[in-house]
Amino acid sequence: MKISYKWLLELTGLDLPVHELADRLTNCGTAVEEIEATDRYMDKVVVGYVTDINSIKGADKIKLATVDIGSDKLDLVCGAPNVAVGQKVPVALLGAKLAGDFVIKKAKIRGVESCGMICSERELGISDDHSGIMVFDSDATIGTPLADYLDFHDYQLAFELTPNRPDSMSAIGIARDAAALVSMAVHKPDFELVESSEKASDYISVKIDDPDACPRYAARIIKNIKIGQSPWWIKKKLLTSGIRPINNIVDITNYVLLETGHPLHAFDYDRFDSTEVVVRRATEGEKFTTLDDQEHSLIPDVLLITNGKHGVAAAGVMGGLDSEVEDSTTNILLESAYFNPSMIRKSRKHLGFVTESSTRFEKGADPNGALFAINRAASLMHELCGGEVLDGIIDCYPEQIKPKTISFRPARCNAILGTKLTTKRMKEILSNLELEVTGEEKLTVTVPTFRPDLEREIDLIEEVARMEGWGNIPDAISNVGPLFTPTYKQDVFVDEVRTILTGVGFDEMVNHGLVDSRFAKKVNPDLPYVQIVNPSSSDLDAMRNSMSLTALNVIGHNISHRNTDLRLFEIGKVYQPPDAHHDWNEEQRIVLTVTGNTTNGWRQSPRPFDFYDLTGAIERLAAHFRWPELQYVPKTTNHLESGVSFQIRAGDTTVGSIGQVSMSIARLADIKQMVYMAEFTTEPLQEVGASLPFFKSLPQFPAAPRDLAIVVAVDVPAGDLVKTVRNAAGSLAEKVDIFDLYMGKQIEKGKKSIAVTITYRSAERSLSGDEVDVVQQNVMADLKKKFNAEIRDK
Amino acid sequence: MSVLDDISVLSENAFERISQADSLDALNDVRVHYLGKKGEITVILKGLGKLPVDERKQIGAAANKARKSIEKRIKEKQESFGDEKPAIVIDSTLPGTAQPLGHVHILNQVMGDICRTFHGMGFEIAHGPDIEADYYNFEALNFPPDHPARDMQDTLFVKGDRLLRTHTTPVQVREIEKRKPPIKIITPGRCFRNEAISTRAHVAFHQVDGFLVDEDVSMSDLKGVLVAFCKAFFGEDVKLNFRPSFFPFTEPSAEVDVSCILCGGKGCQLCKYSGWLEILGCGMIDPNVLDKAGIDSEKYTGYAFGLGVERIAMLKYKIDDIRLFFNNDVRFLSQFK
Repeated sequence: MKISYKWLLELTGLDLPVHELADRLTNCGTAVEEIEATDRYMDKVVVGYVTDINSIKGADKIKLATVDIGSDKLDLVCGAPNVAVGQKVPVALLGAKLAGDFVIKKAKIRGVESCGMICSERELGISDDHSGIMVFDSDATIGTPLADYLDFHDYQLAFELTPNRPDSMSAIGIARDAAALVSMAVHKPDFELVESSEKASDYISVKIDDPDACPRYAARIIKNIKIGQSPWWIKKKLLTSGIRPINNIVDITNYVLLETGHPLHAFDYDRFDSTEVVVRRATEGEKFTTLDDQEHSLIPDVLLITNGKHGVAAAGVMGGLDSEVEDSTTNILLESAYFNPSMIRKSRKHLGFVTESSTRFEKGADPNGALFAINRAASLMHELCGGEVLDGIIDCYPEQIKPKTISFRPARCNAILGTKLTTKRMKEILSNLELEVTGEEKLTVTVPTFRPDLEREIDLIEEVARMEGWGNIPDAISNVGPLFTPTYKQDVFVDEVRTILTGVGFDEMVNHGLVDSRFAKKVNPDLPYVQIVNPSSSDLDAMRNSMSLTALNVIGHNISHRNTDLRLFEIGKVYQPPDAHHDWNEEQRIVLTVTGNTTNGWRQSPRPFDFYDLTGAIERLAAHFRWPELQYVPKTTNHLESGVSFQIRAGDTTVGSIGQVSMSIARLADIKQMVYMAEFTTEPLQEVGASLPFFKSLPQFPAAPRDLAIVVAVDVPAGDLVKTVRNAAGSLAEKVDIFDLYMGKQIEKGKKSIAVTITYRSAERSLSGDEVDVVQQNVMADLKKKFNAEIRDK
Repeated sequence: MSVLDDISVLSENAFERISQADSLDALNDVRVHYLGKKGEITVILKGLGKLPVDERKQIGAAANKARKSIEKRIKEKQESFGDEKPAIVIDSTLPGTAQPLGHVHILNQVMGDICRTFHGMGFEIAHGPDIEADYYNFEALNFPPDHPARDMQDTLFVKGDRLLRTHTTPVQVREIEKRKPPIKIITPGRCFRNEAISTRAHVAFHQVDGFLVDEDVSMSDLKGVLVAFCKAFFGEDVKLNFRPSFFPFTEPSAEVDVSCILCGGKGCQLCKYSGWLEILGCGMIDPNVLDKAGIDSEKYTGYAFGLGVERIAMLKYKIDDIRLFFNNDVRFLSQFK
């Protein structure tokens, strides 16, 4: 909502610089978002008088106007259709900066020099009107700076109002806050209403069929008005609020809406076609044409103002085309009603648009403000349109809505705010807001109906905080709460995973988890996923059921930006919809992926990333968290290449999968290079890793390392060899390490050589060479027997 | 002359040449001459295998003794030259041996900073589900049934009567239901909104909410905690401005601005020349929220606050496009070490 700064000064009697007023309002919750000077595009613009107009050779759309600006006569090229000799017009001189930051310079158009411009309202930042140039009254003084002539040295304050404050949706409402801050009262407009002797009730009656939806409907008749332009002082305020002036009657209803916050509607009484207003719900399928010439098919959720025969207005939202005020209108039926907020919300939802009026009714207008508004508008129609206001208001208000009373404990207020305000101060604050306060220890506060948001004690405490200012509430210096703050185990785990994986060169991804369901179905055809009912775009219509989906998208994105060497991980959630066995499930997982080559450097040449880069990183995690030995068991998985696809197992529990992403799946994400990916759940691993590493005495006797080169068929798993070595070597073998893998010319085709170091050590004595030899023989014998291994003792 | 004599002559000559060597190079020549691959002593040692056993032992011992004494003399001589010329040339301008270096995602860095700061002030961390029930996301937090946030246009709904949480405040309700005061918790996590993706908005974002429920908790305590947090996080000189605002689940409510972290409040492009940056929302927990969660709102009061992690990260690191966070382009990720 936008309101004129000067209007607020008028209503409050304050004399504050604009920024100070804006700051004060913002700090009491009536936030000013933007301040714009209304005359910001009027510097070097003056009133000019068109003395002559000549055509320009070869141009039919533009003319050459000679304009007297007092100090000079200028020849200006003008393309406006309405320019004419004898007009007083706004003239932008050289150097003037107009709307859109357009600066006037000397220009040659069709060989004619032009030293300025005659302006439209849009060019002057007054409105969006660009249909022609602005034309002033003939008494305008030539050469007067425009903003002086228009008396338009003002500011437009744009407010960002919170949804709970319908009372602040008007100039008076905002002025009330501004005045209350300095313990003053708002100056409501003073007016005298002159009524004629003719009775309004002879012209109109009101009947409300649904008093819940329409608790109050007041009407007045104003006869013999003359439609015309509004005076400039009204137009100025409307324009500053961003409302386009139309004619005096419509402008007055809009003006009073801005001033009081109460929406009004003016019908052309002669086209109303009845002497009866009936407020009722629309019937299913009932047709109604709003004044923007749109036909609507209604439902009972729309509240309709009718003339007893058919709809004349969608209550609180928009009037009808048939009874709209026109240039020929002479008699007015003026409506000032109060509609139920949720009724209006339903109505406008069905109609599909919001208006200034619907917004106010929806948030909550003041049922007891209806008469002030209708009288104010009627008096203006008398004053500005020559209307005759008929005697009496037809006020249909079956059940009066009374102000609420709330009890308020000053001690509670101080306890909540952490302040030591006196009861007197609290009473003052509440009274300044036009609340009625009685009592001492416990106050009774009567809340006027323009504050529907104030219902409980806490609402009043908020008013005290707001008006006292948060800045005046002390900042506590002690810190209250429990004595001890435990750390959250899960977060510690995640942080450690992050530290370790970044330490071995993996970059962390964060994905939001929304994916394309078509992609999800291709990657994991049998895995159910959580479907979004109203996705913001069709490619984000499912929650990921596997971390690999988002990881592949990230790899695809990076490769398309020529980042082809990647080591990435993410710790995140996958989501599963409920089924017969489970409720909604969110499972934390880790995904690790590598593709491309290792870094090139002066000490190391690049090599392709592979499977072992993943298992190496996982082993680093396993060592840190003391996981039991993980096993990678061959198992075909849809998204992994067969033969390079494994399950990750911790003991008997399958925790995830690892392998090379199948090329057909990778291609779905525009990836044409080999990608290795591991994905595993963390929960079972967090549990098994809990035991502490208890201290073992340091070895006292020397170790006896022995190397073996074992030549076996290529398909013999190295892990099996190590296991056999361990078993055969028994308790004397402290550890068995693989230190070489060789396949190539030196050995037979179809075979590989795996070299191991067996570290023999006893806790009780130094081992003799012979003793170790015996064990070593057993090891070799077992390897030969089990794997037909050829052993090369080193 | 026997081989043994040869060895003793060789040794004497070697000693002489070592003593005369006047540089490391010259000394090295001597070493190569006697002990190098084809050096005179080396040749003798290599030839041992061809000799009969008893001679082999005798000559071997003598040759080895000669080798050792020559080595000893060379070493002594070498030391006498001091550090004249180091054996290894170090080019200190070469980059060190590359060690793998990954990067923690900037959002998690900022989230971690925020959480650690609050943990230091006694806030425990709690998490909740991303797929949430309407009750926890809206109803329990005092959102009226027709609040615009409950609209399909603002919130992503999931098949099966759930929604993607629009804030992490639902965790506040879940924890209050589970525990007894004092409860002092922050709830970091991901939130979702039905939003068109642009440089300023995304379907997903991260939030850290916090709250305290206890006896005698006041707005003054809330202000104290937020001032302490902002000073710890943005620096001792930071100023705060509390503007009254509205949230369904707190009353009184406020939005908090900090003095611009770039210009300090003088006005610059970052703060749009206002001197202030909007950083978080806060307020006293609405009594309705406490009562609904089973806490007597007459006995206990509480405060709550919430801040957007992306917004803070964008301000602090001058990131101008929110989409960068979820693109995970490694050229972006690797900027934040």
